[in-house]
Amino acid sequence: MSAQAPAPPSPSAGGPPPSDGVPLFYRRGFRRLLQQGLYVAVTGLVFWYVYDALNLREFGFGFLDEPAAFKVGNQWLTDIDGVTENRITMYLVGVWSSLRVVFVAILLSTLVGVLVGVSRLSSNWLVARLAMLYVEIFRNTPLLVQVVLVYAIFLVGAPIIQEVVNIGDFAFISNRGLAIPWPVPSDGLWGVPDWFVGVWVALLLAIGTVAMTIRRSRQNRERETGQPQFANRWAFGIFAVGALVTFIVLGLPVSIDRPYIEGTRYLEGMVIRPEFAALTIGLTLYTGAFNAEIVRGSIQALPTGQTEAANAIGLSGYQRLTLVILPQALRQMIPSITNQYLNVNKNSSLAYAVLYDDLFRVAGIIQNKAGHALEMFFVIIVTYMLISLVISAVMNFINARVTRVGV
Amino acid sequence: MSEQPPIPRPEQRPLPPAPGADQRRIVLPPHRERARRPRSVRVREWVRKNLFPSTGGTLLTLIAAGIMGAIVVGIVIFVFFGANWEVITHNRWLLFAGGFPHEEAWRLWVSIAVVFALIGAAYGTWSSFGRRDHLFVLLVGGFVIFLMAHGGAAIWSTVYFLIAIGCMYLGYAVTIWMPRETSTLRTFQQRVVGGLLAVSLPLVLIILLVGGEVGPRHLDGFVLNLILAPVGIVGGIVLGIPLALGRASRLRSISLTCTAYIEIVRGAPLLGWLFVALFILDDVIGGDLIIRAMVVMAVFTGAYMAEYIRGALQALPRGQYEAAQAVGLTELQRTRLIIMPQALRISIPPMVGQAISIWKDTTLVTVILPLRELKGNADSAIAQFEFTPDRIEAYVFVAVIFWIVAFAMSRISQRVERAQGVGER
Repeated sequence: MSAQAPAPPSPSAGGPPPSDGVPLFYRRGFRRLLQQGLYVAVTGLVFWYVYDALNLREFGFGFLDEPAAFKVGNQWLTDIDGVTENRITMYLVGVWSSLRVVFVAILLSTLVGVLVGVSRLSSNWLVARLAMLYVEIFRNTPLLVQVVLVYAIFLVGAPIIQEVVNIGDFAFISNRGLAIPWPVPSDGLWGVPDWFVGVWVALLLAIGTVAMTIRRSRQNRERETGQPQFANRWAFGIFAVGALVTFIVLGLPVSIDRPYIEGTRYLEGMVIRPEFAALTIGLTLYTGAFNAEIVRGSIQALPTGQTEAANAIGLSGYQRLTLVILPQALRQMIPSITNQYLNVNKNSSLAYAVLYDDLFRVAGIIQNKAGHALEMFFVIIVTYMLISLVISAVMNFINARVTRVGV
Repeated sequence: MSEQPPIPRPEQRPLPPAPGADQRRIVLPPHRERARRPRSVRVREWVRKNLFPSTGGTLLTLIAAGIMGAIVVGIVIFVFFGANWEVITHNRWLLFAGGFPHEEAWRLWVSIAVVFALIGAAYGTWSSFGRRDHLFVLLVGGFVIFLMAHGGAAIWSTVYFLIAIGCMYLGYAVTIWMPRETSTLRTFQQRVVGGLLAVSLPLVLIILLVGGEVGPRHLDGFVLNLILAPVGIVGGIVLGIPLALGRASRLRSISLTCTAYIEIVRGAPLLGWLFVALFILDDVIGGDLIIRAMVVMAVFTGAYMAEYIRGALQALPRGQYEAAQAVGLTELQRTRLIIMPQALRISIPPMVGQAISIWKDTTLVTVILPLRELKGNADSAIAQFEFTPDRIEAYVFVAVIFWIVAFAMSRISQRVERAQGVGER
């Protein structure tokens, strides 16, 4: 806001103007009442018309409790059979699939955005041009086309499973997807029960907390005494040793499962399906281009004195970027980047185009089987709004953290 | 205060000593100094500074050059050797207009000519073609003609397209030739071109759909994209202005409902709203599916446009409201004459971003609606038996077409911003 000059009392703020002698029709209060009344009447009519047309006698969510009778693919960590489970469970499986895509795409697109956004401002002409080319291409083509194009490249370009590309019996690439090794609970040394994995993860969290506390205290001591205390090395060392010791003490509860092929199917390991990959890569490339523009804009909005000052005290290019420029640009970019994250959430519905069973597609299947389009739409919009709320809340928290730190 | 020595007036200042012959060297600012050196030296300096500044920089340049070279080589190999473009040339009409009847094709060409002429006239009135614009027209025109020339005769289509481009340059020539000094004439010209632009969408719809054997259901292929996007954009602005004003209104019932509308519409993805168009709106407004899709596009864009306009309303200095009140304007006059023109001017850049976004989102009607726009018809093309292996070619083509229009839109918007003085004041 501008300087706190004493503003002249505006008529809207300084109470109603004297109304004596003014005919009723021209009085402000009466006018407002009339306007609102008219408005409410018209909107009410529209609402009534819509309500009448929708024919809501059958409105209800009971149909979600019936058996689903369809399969949901692309499950991860879950293996829920739609034949026996009810529809709401299958919908939640779809939500889980959506969340995975959104999470991965947000992470990767942020990485791409920062990398490309910084590259666009590089003093290296070729790098800057390359970054600009990327942004101009991916920002100006439809996300749908990008997603189906990546999907087509996977389907046409990757070999069929009979001619699978075998990377040292370690990973496999075919048009069924990319299979990589993955940690799973194992019997370990003496038939360790599966829930030991949970114990180990809990212990890891505890050790991590301890390590972070020690790091903080060592950092404080370094600030006070000026003597190097190697806070990061200590923290990392404690965590690594702790993790290893607990892992051995618990009897090796986790092993790495290597994938293998039986017939035309991948077994074990983790399989990144082409649908998931196409959707995530498409979302990443598309959103990454927008994020790059946001990063570039935020950096350019900084006063040039910041760069000059960093150069003057002799920071290297990398130090200048990570210690001076990006932390300040972060404050500027978080609101716009949050918007892009919300877009990622909504754009993940494009899963429909590559038949990835996200929440929108599962909802579509349920609607196809059971009708109740209005209820299904209600469920969809509430889910998207909830996910958006969570993203906004997390970003607001980060924003508060970032803006709180004093310069 | 009075003890300060009086500032000498310029003519009273002692003159600098007359420059001797040895002191005549003029010191130029650095960039002028650089410009005096021979071109080859400057090029060498530029290359060293921007490409090979240090070991790390050189490495970076080499990596970037490697990536760029790989991309260029890959594209050249794909485009000229690997790809089978027959999937495009064989399905030109399917991709362009799909089910639009052949005997009514003149409607399409007349519409395109009208729109091109208007674009030319707008450029001539508010801006001018630069070398890059001519290059863009040349490249796109060459691309289209190349497409037509391949795989069978499309001579008349080529001729019609050339006539349309001719119309653009005609509109440009007429408007740029008008004298710019006489203000009344210029105002008149701006009003005429602006008015024509404002009615261009209904005009095109009339040319396309009134009379003859064509109806909305014949809008198909790329033509459907070209119609859906402007309907969404114009409808969105028309809806967005009252919504933005409503959200900023002091009347509680109005601001509450407008806020609810904006937030609910923005809460679900466009695909969700197209789902509504397909399954729910049928009972509410009925009509052709294309009409329902248009309504949804406008309703959806309206919420976003409203937010941009609201942002602009909040960015306006308070003094503008107070000044309008001080000169005794009514609320309606104030909004119409003072607030809206400024707010719309400020919100041009984000609104163009939204327009480009809705242009790209027209592809979404294919995903769940049984409507076939360009991407949908590309799907139909690769569904033909002989073209099933050519998915990549078809989608690359679609991407290129969308890119051309989106890129042109962003360039035009930069012109509009400059002409309107956005961000300058």
